[in-house]
Amino acid sequence: MAKINTSVRPVKMKRNTCRRLITPYIYLLPTIVLMLVLLIIPIIMVIRYSFYDNVIINKNPVFVGLENYTKVLTDTAFHVAVKNTLFFVFVSIIAHFLIGMVFAMLLNTRYLGNAVKGIFRVVYALPWMFTASVIAISWRVMLNPNGVLNYLLMNSHLIGEKLEWLSSRDFALITVTVINIWSGYPFYMISILAGLQGISTDLYEASALDGANAVQTFFRITIPQLKPILISLLMLDFVWTLQQFALIWMTTGGGPINATETISTYIYKQGFSKYQYSMASTGATILLVVCTVIGIFYVRQQKARD
Amino acid sequence: MKSRTIMKKVVSTAIVSIMTLSLAACGGSPSSEGGEAKSEDDGKSVTLEFQQWWGPEMPEGTLKEICDDFTKESGIGIELLSNPYADTKTQVAAGAAAGTMADVVGLDGSWVYDFAKQGSIANLTELMEDDGYDDSQLSAQIQFEGNTYMIPVVNFAYPMYANMDILKAAGVTELPATREDFVKACEAIKAYDSSIAGFAIPLSTESPNGIQNQVMTWLWASGDSMLESGKPNLSGNKELEEVVDFVKELFDKDLIAAGSYSMVESDMVEEFTNGRVAFMIDGVSHLTMIKDGNPELDFAYTTVPVKSGYSGTVGMEAANWGIGIAENCEHKKEALQFVEYLLSPEVNAKMAALANAFPGNTKAEPDYSKSDELFVEAYELYQQCETINEFTGLPTSEDLMRSFEEQLQLYLDGDTASVSEMLEETQKLWEPAFE
Amino acid sequence: MIGKKKIWVQALIVVLLIIGAVWAGFPVVWMILNSFKPNAEIFAWPPVWISESFSFHAYKEIFTNPEQVRFFMNSYLITGVVVILTLLIGILASYAFSRFDFAGKNVINTIIVSVQAVPPITLLIPYLSLVVTIKLYNTYWALILTYMVFTLPYAVLMTTGYFNTLPRELDEAVMIDGGSRLRALWNVLVPTSIPGLVSVGMYTFMQAYNEYLFALALTKTNDMRTVPVGINLLMGQHAYEWNQMMAMSVLGSLPILLLFLFFQKYFIAGMTAGSVKN
Repeated sequence: MAKINTSVRPVKMKRNTCRRLITPYIYLLPTIVLMLVLLIIPIIMVIRYSFYDNVIINKNPVFVGLENYTKVLTDTAFHVAVKNTLFFVFVSIIAHFLIGMVFAMLLNTRYLGNAVKGIFRVVYALPWMFTASVIAISWRVMLNPNGVLNYLLMNSHLIGEKLEWLSSRDFALITVTVINIWSGYPFYMISILAGLQGISTDLYEASALDGANAVQTFFRITIPQLKPILISLLMLDFVWTLQQFALIWMTTGGGPINATETISTYIYKQGFSKYQYSMASTGATILLVVCTVIGIFYVRQQKARD
Repeated sequence: MKSRTIMKKVVSTAIVSIMTLSLAACGGSPSSEGGEAKSEDDGKSVTLEFQQWWGPEMPEGTLKEICDDFTKESGIGIELLSNPYADTKTQVAAGAAAGTMADVVGLDGSWVYDFAKQGSIANLTELMEDDGYDDSQLSAQIQFEGNTYMIPVVNFAYPMYANMDILKAAGVTELPATREDFVKACEAIKAYDSSIAGFAIPLSTESPNGIQNQVMTWLWASGDSMLESGKPNLSGNKELEEVVDFVKELFDKDLIAAGSYSMVESDMVEEFTNGRVAFMIDGVSHLTMIKDGNPELDFAYTTVPVKSGYSGTVGMEAANWGIGIAENCEHKKEALQFVEYLLSPEVNAKMAALANAFPGNTKAEPDYSKSDELFVEAYELYQQCETINEFTGLPTSEDLMRSFEEQLQLYLDGDTASVSEMLEETQKLWEPAFE
Repeated sequence: MIGKKKIWVQALIVVLLIIGAVWAGFPVVWMILNSFKPNAEIFAWPPVWISESFSFHAYKEIFTNPEQVRFFMNSYLITGVVVILTLLIGILASYAFSRFDFAGKNVINTIIVSVQAVPPITLLIPYLSLVVTIKLYNTYWALILTYMVFTLPYAVLMTTGYFNTLPRELDEAVMIDGGSRLRALWNVLVPTSIPGLVSVGMYTFMQAYNEYLFALALTKTNDMRTVPVGINLLMGQHAYEWNQMMAMSVLGSLPILLLFLFFQKYFIAGMTAGSVKN
């Protein structure tokens, strides 16, 4: 069957060379049109705004070159935002990864029945099912100084007085990060779980024959086998966490003072509170450049794997 | 294989049902749109969009009734676009930028400057002149560069709420009239039960209104000002320094409810409703909600305590539901007609009574006989006081409040050495907005 | 000896599972409990677990309010169309990426990846102007197209991955037998990668169903609004309906939960098959 195929194909191919050249673009057309009109055009508009003085408020904005960039990059508030964002992003990613991995390993264990695993799988996936504003509101209610968390902790004598989880400059960033960790780990868990199903049992058997213990097997077999998806997950999560806005804004608004100010809340305040759309666009363009670099690495990494 | 066929079935059923649904929806909406267009053509009648956050705040359906009465009277249709305050703000701001603002918009005094400067709301002075409207009956007009852009429809007073049960139990017999009395009362409450806070100041960065409603209001109560001929006057303002230090004293003595730095107004109201805060400064409009939440709560209204030795008229902060007309509105004449209708004495009185607010037309005589006794009490207080809100009409006023708030928190935490330094720094942050 | 060790391991796993379940589930349980309380009790100290005036009041309020029911209908309609169209368009694009080599392939691919990185909030203003210009403001299509733009990149990347795992001989066999490319795609590739498509569809569903900012900005009238916007409607300036908000959140997540349960098998197996190279 295969032999016949190869002998027939060249004839067909020749006839269709021209068509074959155009065909892929026809398949791609809807995607390209949609993205070009609705995504690329607005992005170009945002980039353009960043080179003008205050657009929208000013009827006739003036081209100012890189002035906005100098302003943003020398703004101490922006520096604080970058620092907080880095903390928020890296702690979130690492915790997402660790929790997702541990939960996935627990759910993949052969010591448990399928029904039990099924129940826990749903429970562990719960945080994924709520939108950011709902997550923010429910956590605010729980973390209120007179909320249920302080009550539980005080009654179990873990803390002596009511803690101000979101309104203390020392805790706020950590608290917001924890909320983000809660809302984001299921993505890893489910993906890793899926990855684990794909690892061939032969590999584990071979490892067992070599006399490797569970820990050795985990590092020698599981991790290397999962590496491709782990890298994709980390990349995607980096980009998504960098953009996280609703959760931070609706829990702390970037405060107290600037304790939880991130690049996204900085951009929002510039645009919607100071009405400085040019400055907001500049912040956005900087973020876009950073993310594009990440995106290029991501594509390269994807290609290297193929 | 079996599950795959099931999948196929599910997917195809889903496609079919969604297609039907979307067809139904597509079929539905154009026809209704067509209907509107038709009526515009043959009857020469106009339909105005009215975007505001008032509908959800008034008893259900009452705003619609008021608008329907207007349609009966004038033949001009009103389409209500109601959203909560914060969402209305986002929508109006986005609409201002994209030119999609509704014809008539509910405005907050703090938005006016920016929208007027941007040219997205219409100059009402011109419109009123063309129409020959007598504006002397209006309680206030919010202006930008000498022209009116917003008219307050109803006003909300911000008196002080006092939980009488707590005060009685703590042995506080009289409502505090001065700041010193107030501190003493709070201290007595703390001595009685340390889990009850004397006062609450919501200082969340998300919505920095606390600066206006719970901080500056102390300054205004004693007839003082944070502005001088429309420009910021923070640095070296002795009266303001006293107020900031008074607030710091409350914090230092641990008389303020916990969680201040991430507290928003709603949190404060819930704390008060649950009897964990003795005093709060809040809009009278929350009266019904507090009563519903805790019917047993015994509370009273009073004016905000003043500085010692002050004997002038006490200031009471007022916020308002303002109204404006979009610059992109194609029927400005009709829009003004609607604005005038809402501000006519009878309608205005009716709206005020329904919204638990005070009228924007000085000739309106609202019938509060069906209102709560406490409300009538608040109305009497309001009439004795001078109403004031210096943030109304200032440029980027939300941002001004936010930068004041951040500097205040730095001072409260001891990062800024002195109050004069704090106000000097804030003055620097405020000035660029006024250029 | 081995049996004893196994019991210990089992006990340890169960303990860990329970700790994990508390961490994952407590906030959700608390939300559900709150939805049955009267408003003031939500902030009571000490906290009220099960309210004495336990009631379905909040749920009843939602179901008897035609406006709020409409939010749910809108959300399902918009999300459903988005999922179907994203999958259709995504499948076509992925087919091109997977089965052809053509000029500009790498560039287009890089763009598709990197546009995922644009923070949507920064696009809001220009995007709104654009939607107004093309006269889609306050229509279902404004939201449908927006969500497609946000979900397509992910869908294309993942689906390409799935198609890449299938041997080319599979679709070529169909074409030899006289079938068209479309038939090969539709009759062979698509059915074989259903698990992957389900996972892409689920992700698309969640993204579209939960979006708030654009749902607010691109629509004007309440009859066009979706559930996340409806949830926020309950936080008025002068009245806060905490219990209804919690109830609506719970109701809002139910369809996602049901979908998850229904597709669990596919979801777990298919989620990452696209990125795992076989």
